[in-house]
Amino acid sequence: MIWQNIKNAFLSIRSAKLRSALTAVGVMIGVFAVLVMVGVGDGVKAEIESQISNLGTNVLTITSGKLNQSASSSDPKEQKGSGINIASGIGTSTLTEDDVKTIENTPNVSRSAAFGIISSSVAKDQIVSNSAFVIATTPSYFDIRQLKTSQGSFFSADDNSGSKFVAVIGADTKQSLFGGEDPIGKSISLRGKQFRVLGVIEKSDAGVSLGANADDIVIIPINSAIKLTGKNDVFRVIAEVDSEKNIEKVKASLEQSIGSNHSGADDFSVLTQKELLTTFSSILDILTTFVVAIAAISLLVGGIGIMNIMLVTVSERTKEIGIRKAMGATFGNIMGQFLTESIIISLIGGVIGVLASYLAGMVIAKLANITPVYSPIALISALGASLFIGVVFGTAPAIKAARKHPIQALKSL
Amino acid sequence: MEKSKPEIVIELTKLAKRYDDEAGVYDALKKVELKVRAGEFLAVMGPSGSGKSTLMNIIGLLDRPTQGNYLLDGVDTNTLSDKDLAKLRRDRIGFIFQNFNLLPRLSIMQNVELPLIYQKIRTAERKRRVREVLSEVGILDKIDSKPNRVSGGQVQRAAIARALINKPSLILADEPTGNLDTKTGLGIMELLKKLNNDGVTIVLVTHNPELSHYASRIVEVRDGLLSEKEVRK
Ligand SMILES: Nc1ncnc2c1ncn2[C@@H]1O[C@H](COP(=O)(O)OP(=O)(O)O)[C@@H](O)[C@H]1O
Ligand SMILES: [Mg+2]
Repeated sequence: MIWQNIKNAFLSIRSAKLRSALTAVGVMIGVFAVLVMVGVGDGVKAEIESQISNLGTNVLTITSGKLNQSASSSDPKEQKGSGINIASGIGTSTLTEDDVKTIENTPNVSRSAAFGIISSSVAKDQIVSNSAFVIATTPSYFDIRQLKTSQGSFFSADDNSGSKFVAVIGADTKQSLFGGEDPIGKSISLRGKQFRVLGVIEKSDAGVSLGANADDIVIIPINSAIKLTGKNDVFRVIAEVDSEKNIEKVKASLEQSIGSNHSGADDFSVLTQKELLTTFSSILDILTTFVVAIAAISLLVGGIGIMNIMLVTVSERTKEIGIRKAMGATFGNIMGQFLTESIIISLIGGVIGVLASYLAGMVIAKLANITPVYSPIALISALGASLFIGVVFGTAPAIKAARKHPIQALKSL
Repeated sequence: MEKSKPEIVIELTKLAKRYDDEAGVYDALKKVELKVRAGEFLAVMGPSGSGKSTLMNIIGLLDRPTQGNYLLDGVDTNTLSDKDLAKLRRDRIGFIFQNFNLLPRLSIMQNVELPLIYQKIRTAERKRRVREVLSEVGILDKIDSKPNRVSGGQVQRAAIARALINKPSLILADEPTGNLDTKTGLGIMELLKKLNNDGVTIVLVTHNPELSHYASRIVEVRDGLLSEKEVRK
């Protein structure tokens, strides 16, 4: 019977090729949109994971605000809360100059770099860039982040202690402000003050991460920033530990010592790379879920398309239903026949959507710096969703078909 | 079979059918009484609009009476569910319509096997039985043709094959020759006569008195009432 229904479905799909194709396109677009969004989300996640792990597993990040890490924390006290407070990374920082000194002086910390984020546009003559990310930090930042220059050099400890107005810029920032021109020794302005460009950072292979372009960046000495803005907001401190073995020990000691600096207030976090990764991943998961939910609406629209066409099909084929009933088809037989048809149309759309999303993935990988990742689970879910759509939106038309009175159906047309 | 009169296939008592729709109320059948015995060839005659098709649809379990009783093989059909009726149509009744009612998208083979599909009979067995009935009605060579590729007489022969395929005890033919020329129509009647001689009970609707000669008994429907006309043999 199922086999007969499938044969019948293909027969009637073939007899109305264009209409069936257009109906399947609705589901196809939905599956395509969802898969591409999930694929890009997973691709970005994989990218960030590789970036963060490139930073080295012996790096700790000390950040203002409380980021709960119940998933990875071994501390039972922290396991009561989960998730993250996105706002905690923004606004007034709770980290102080004292904390920076404490971190520097902690045993097994080989070097550390505090950095703040300056909100300012960057200009060169008439050209203004609002996209560049302005960071204020110490020279050890370059070492810990393992940055290299393609031109010129980084600023020195003397530049920092002397609060010199100097800057190191990213490859994309250089391109947008200077084009082909040599930027070394030229000036850019931040908040109306002129900063001399000392060096250009080698283009990273990181590309876009979390909406920030790692190559569109301006780095200035932290003391110069204090002179510029009149305040010292430490956004984060990154600390390199001499050996990976000591990571947990240093983390515990920092939590203890910074905690006593803050008189016990729970307003900062010491995160390992792994924890940082989890934090970013969960932010990304929220974003992905949101975008996928929107994409899923198109799947819904595809389903409504199927229902619409199946209702038309049922009324066009009323006579056929009458004949089949006269030949002994039961309610269930007729229902099964039309339900199979809607499921098959939906699955055809789903399969094509999966293939199209693969092609789109290849195109995206070529054009953007992201390689979409398609997990088997996503593919199976996509086909499962098409099946589900076929059932849900095919049921009402199938019931309508199966309910038809044999005589009225036979007399139709 | 365990019921009172096993040799009686159809028994209608005080059967009435009222159509009640937007257009108004119409009593198509009023208190119809009829008994049909196994092996009979019954011709139902009467003017157009007298209620012959209405009667056939009720006998064929495609519609229900609004009043009265219909016993099929001694079973009161009023007590049966729609699903039971569908199964009886599938297993016990063969239909032949004036306008053939084959599915145009399906081949003759696929049309004829339809009742067997609903009986969940296996493909090989279905194929065998389709060939058997198609050769019985004389159109085995058209097995793979679409209905629109063969003549009207051949389409009706395919429809008869479809009515025969489930080996029904009752064949209902509602003006089966109405859309055929006289010569072709007579061929179809000969075929029905042959089936009747093989023991199948046939109820035929016709308004052609010449065709009624094939029947063993003639009844007439007029103004929703049924009366006996003639019994032969
Ligand atoms: N579904 C229906 N609704 C309303 N009236 C109907 C319906 N079917 C048949 N009738 C009416 O019932 C009468 C009998 O119809 P029918 O049984 O088809 O007659 P016959 O087959 O003898 O020509 C006709 O007057 C017809 O108009
Ligand atoms: Mg009629």
